[in-house]
Amino acid sequence: MKITGEIKISDNGFVFNSRTGDSFNLNPFGLELLKNIETGKDFDQIKNDVLDRFDIDDLTFEKDFYEFCALLKHHQIISQDDPLDFK
Amino acid sequence: MKKLAYEKPVISKITAGVPNKFGLPTKLKTISAIDGIAVEKLMQEYGSPVFVISEKTIRETYADAKQAFETRYPKVQFAWSYKTNYLDAVCSIFHDEGSWAEVVSAFEFEKALSLGVNGSNIIFNGPEKSADDLKLAINHNACIHIDHFDELYLLIKVTRELNKKARVAIRINLDAGIYPIWDRFGFNYENGEAWNAINRIMLAENLDLIGLHTHIGTYIMSANAYAIAASKLANLYMATHRKFDHWLKYVDLGGGFASKNTLKGAYMPGTETCPSFDEYAEAISNALISSEIPHENLPVLFLETGRALIDDAGYLLTTVLANKRSTHGRRTMVIDAGVNLLFTSFWYNLGIYPTRDLSSHVEESTIYGPLCMNIDVIRDAINFPQVKTGERLVIERVGAYNMTQWMQFITFRPNVILIDLDGQPHIIRKKEELASLQNFEQNPKR
Repeated sequence: MKITGEIKISDNGFVFNSRTGDSFNLNPFGLELLKNIETGKDFDQIKNDVLDRFDIDDLTFEKDFYEFCALLKHHQIISQDDPLDFK
Repeated sequence: MKKLAYEKPVISKITAGVPNKFGLPTKLKTISAIDGIAVEKLMQEYGSPVFVISEKTIRETYADAKQAFETRYPKVQFAWSYKTNYLDAVCSIFHDEGSWAEVVSAFEFEKALSLGVNGSNIIFNGPEKSADDLKLAINHNACIHIDHFDELYLLIKVTRELNKKARVAIRINLDAGIYPIWDRFGFNYENGEAWNAINRIMLAENLDLIGLHTHIGTYIMSANAYAIAASKLANLYMATHRKFDHWLKYVDLGGGFASKNTLKGAYMPGTETCPSFDEYAEAISNALISSEIPHENLPVLFLETGRALIDDAGYLLTTVLANKRSTHGRRTMVIDAGVNLLFTSFWYNLGIYPTRDLSSHVEESTIYGPLCMNIDVIRDAINFPQVKTGERLVIERVGAYNMTQWMQFITFRPNVILIDLDGQPHIIRKKEELASLQNFEQNPKR
């Protein structure tokens, strides 16, 4: 799972996809997750960091994370070469 | 170290070129309590989903309507439209406020009698009245509103058999300048059918014509349409007097006043566009008072408004079962109240609110009910914040028609709670259970 080359992410949560022309807004936590994905962290690393800092249980976060990733994929912000690559 | 508050990650596409005249509210309304009782407490005690009716709202709404008409017209009588909500506790409140009963079947007629309504204070409307139904109405001296000629002749026959007089009115359909014209009920004004019916009734020995009735439609957003209807009834009222030297006792403008719900496809919200009781009252009263009817002979004005009197008093409390994403990325949510409980969700964009402040980030969402049926959509597009499963939601303005048109389907119909004027909740209809439904069934032995 990696961020496609045409994606530009600003520090205030604005995302632009130069391939499709679409632009997006992220909420602060969405921006943090996307930045973490951009740096190549895998799910377990991100999860451990989030559980340390935020008042959230692991199952709820896992559900929200994969829903978020599904949206990123839908909007062609991240790509997943292998459809069976769950993480 | 105290952990940071968590908010679900969200990404939303920026859509340019689709202006929204109203914008988004900066803060979504919340409904945390009904008449002082916390929604959570009600749901813990009575389950989810659960209908809640506010007696305080019923009485306040009724008082508003009554004041609007009685300050403009000298003789006003409301008749509670049973089909809108015929739970005993609800009907009893309206009767306690002075409403007569307006019924459209023998079942509703008997329900009104069982609640202690005097038969002469029952208006019997509707196209379906059998000979037995007419006998019931005649024997209780009810006001029978005749719908068609077959019913008129059946009534003449029944009164002969009983050798009793019947108090009758006719239902009239007319062009009040709105679309669609409801011409399936009653006798037409413009083509002279209504006048013919009046003439026939006046010749019948056992029929005492006492009123004229029209019901121009439902959810009428133009108060002026009622003025046109009232003027036409006034014309027939005077024509009857001129020809037969007979003063009728009442004109009945029916119901159809809009509630504050928003119709599907409406550009503006119902709270902004629907006429107030004052506007309807002004239009109807002016039309009758400025007609050629002498003031000393003005008829009693009957009103059968149902929806506008009860919709605001009803709430459906529900729980979020699941959050999902469609294949197109659209956010969807499943709640535990379906269209089998919310017939009005087919007509309205019902207001659905959380019980507490949630994230300020809202996303266009589809809200589904719990039924394993594709049609079970409560809202196809609503801007809603992220909610977790188990979150309580409140659907407002569901007091009209839902508790009569609901159906037992897939699961049981839930408890209905009335919060009385002292803020005490009471179960006024118990949740169904397997035994209560199987009680109607018979399984042949094989």
